[in-house]
Amino acid sequence: MTRPMRFLIRVGAMASKEVMHIRRDPRTLYMALAMPVVMLLIFGFGVSFDMDRIPLVVLDGDRSVASRSLVRAVSAGHEFVIAADSDEATALRMIRRGQALAGLAIPAGYQRELAAGRDGEIQLIVDGADGVVANQILSKIDGLVRAESLRRIDLAAEPPLQVKVFTLFNPEARSALFMVPGLAVYLLAIAAVLLTALTVSGEWERGSMEQLFASPVGRLEIVLGKLLPYLGLGMLQLLLVVAVGAMIFDVPIRGSATLLFLAGFLFLIGMLGQGLFISVVARNQLVATQAGALSSLLPSLLLSGMLVPIENMPRILQVLSSVVPARYFVHAMRGIMLKGSGLSILWGDLVALAIFALAIIALATARFRRRLA
Amino acid sequence: MSEPSIEAVHLSRRFGSFLAVDDVSFSVARGEIFGYLGANGAGKSTTIRMLCGLLAPTAGEARVAGFDVKTAPEAVKASIGYMSQKFSLYLDLPVCDNIDFFGGAYGLSGPDFAARADEVLRLCDLENEHDAITGSLPGGVRQRLALGCAILHRPAVLFLDEPTAGVDPVSRRLFWRFIRRLARDGTTIFVTTHYLDEAEYCGRIGLMVDGRLVALDTPSALKRRYVPGRVLSVHGRNLAPAAVSLRSRPGIITVEPFGAGLHLQVAAEDWNADSVAQALASAGAQAVEVESGEPTLEDVFLAVVARPREVHAP
Repeated sequence: MTRPMRFLIRVGAMASKEVMHIRRDPRTLYMALAMPVVMLLIFGFGVSFDMDRIPLVVLDGDRSVASRSLVRAVSAGHEFVIAADSDEATALRMIRRGQALAGLAIPAGYQRELAAGRDGEIQLIVDGADGVVANQILSKIDGLVRAESLRRIDLAAEPPLQVKVFTLFNPEARSALFMVPGLAVYLLAIAAVLLTALTVSGEWERGSMEQLFASPVGRLEIVLGKLLPYLGLGMLQLLLVVAVGAMIFDVPIRGSATLLFLAGFLFLIGMLGQGLFISVVARNQLVATQAGALSSLLPSLLLSGMLVPIENMPRILQVLSSVVPARYFVHAMRGIMLKGSGLSILWGDLVALAIFALAIIALATARFRRRLA
Repeated sequence: MSEPSIEAVHLSRRFGSFLAVDDVSFSVARGEIFGYLGANGAGKSTTIRMLCGLLAPTAGEARVAGFDVKTAPEAVKASIGYMSQKFSLYLDLPVCDNIDFFGGAYGLSGPDFAARADEVLRLCDLENEHDAITGSLPGGVRQRLALGCAILHRPAVLFLDEPTAGVDPVSRRLFWRFIRRLARDGTTIFVTTHYLDEAEYCGRIGLMVDGRLVALDTPSALKRRYVPGRVLSVHGRNLAPAAVSLRSRPGIITVEPFGAGLHLQVAAEDWNADSVAQALASAGAQAVEVESGEPTLEDVFLAVVARPREVHAP
């Protein structure tokens, strides 16, 4: 029998053994397929930066036509709901208890001042505990009140300056569109690293690695045999996550699906390789799980641009993020899904993903050999 | 005579400052069952790992099945079978999947392999366990499966590292029957064990103490050399005080308590069963019965292990 033939038989034996393990232990399938989908649903619905129906307490000390008009203007849209119409003590208590996030105080004499042509002063009390929420409330109230005051100046006249905004790619500014591609990357990264991290360290713990080393199975054959089944599983996972994104969160794929899966393919090899590398070094499942989770979770969450724009990071973190494959895949995913970007724009990401994949596989194989002594 | 199946020449392995295997030389002929004995940590597994190409020797050389373990470890691996201490099977998989996997690992496939797999299952008496999950099988059956997986590719040399640890006596005996059959068919067997009764099955035995091969010969030659004289076992009442007086008499080599009785090793020219019985009776023991016994490898082992310590003692 020829050498390449034997090579293929051995890789095939490793890979099919892995498939048998997966078939025998449905937890692997759960971790690979169900967990990312469940997480995507939880995060997709749960993590939303769109604030809607913010509970607001009104302290109307004037009880006039003008004050009611202002309250109507603020509560007419879907941004705010009036949680109560009350006095200051109650308002503060409600904010403290979280029943309201802001209070709008209109002092007595508001209508009189306005009628006299003087400035009408109103007061906004904001729960500042969550900066993101407070900022959104401020800008929303500001916009609504500004519109109301323009209306008061002249009901008919157009304001002198107007900004007409066209938001490209995500005109409704939906969080899901922004979040789902990033989330998908994050979830794929964790699952992929953990899958291989556990399987190789399992062989060490069981003692079967020594058995494998005593056979003619080479290191590269072990690495490839371990990689291939999980790569298949990972691609299935990617398909599932993209499908859930499209069907449940209406996330489009405006660009080429082939390109998306090519990028995913390269990304998965890198992540599975990272798991293999950890497994080779750690040799026991507990350490491998910890190292796998840490090394995939934190960088993919914080340094990928999924939550925090890379441009906003300190220089050192920007440099660090350039070796995090998730960064390139997040960029590629958003580009392909939301902007319809093609290869001419995303080739750099693909090259970076391919370099990482090759480097980590080479590293894992090299470390394997060294460990043999 | 043809080239030996295994040949170790001044083989050593050092881990940091610890010399696990110290200048070991031996050779094993084709079809021989070679037993490698020693306490835990004496260097048995380290020797096996070097011979299997798993661990590079720090010094010395070894050839296995005609290949140098240093320069051609891959060729060595293709011509040996290795059964490690823990019988590293995949317990979550059925018996047949384990066979399929190890066959593939040795590059076997197709109808030839299918026939060989059936043959090995039959040989190892595993035909009824074909679809059983390996983890659900008792230790003795797993051990036979591990052996089966190690011989799928008809290795010229079979390394067994404590193959019978944790296996019941009946299965152990059955296992040794397979081993002897393999050896008869020309497979060279290198086996480590610390069951000394099993070592009796070996053609020759090497004894390892603290990384050094201190004795190497057939079981009977080892007994003659290290347990000279006659071994007697004694039963009776009030033996302990009588034994003390016996100890100082010439020709008495050792007196060891053994169960409720005594184990004696005596110079054959000075003592026999009757004279020992008389001596004990006159020293106050009652109802003395003396049987002559065969020296066991346990006696050899104790004698060999005790020897270096005597030298070092002040």
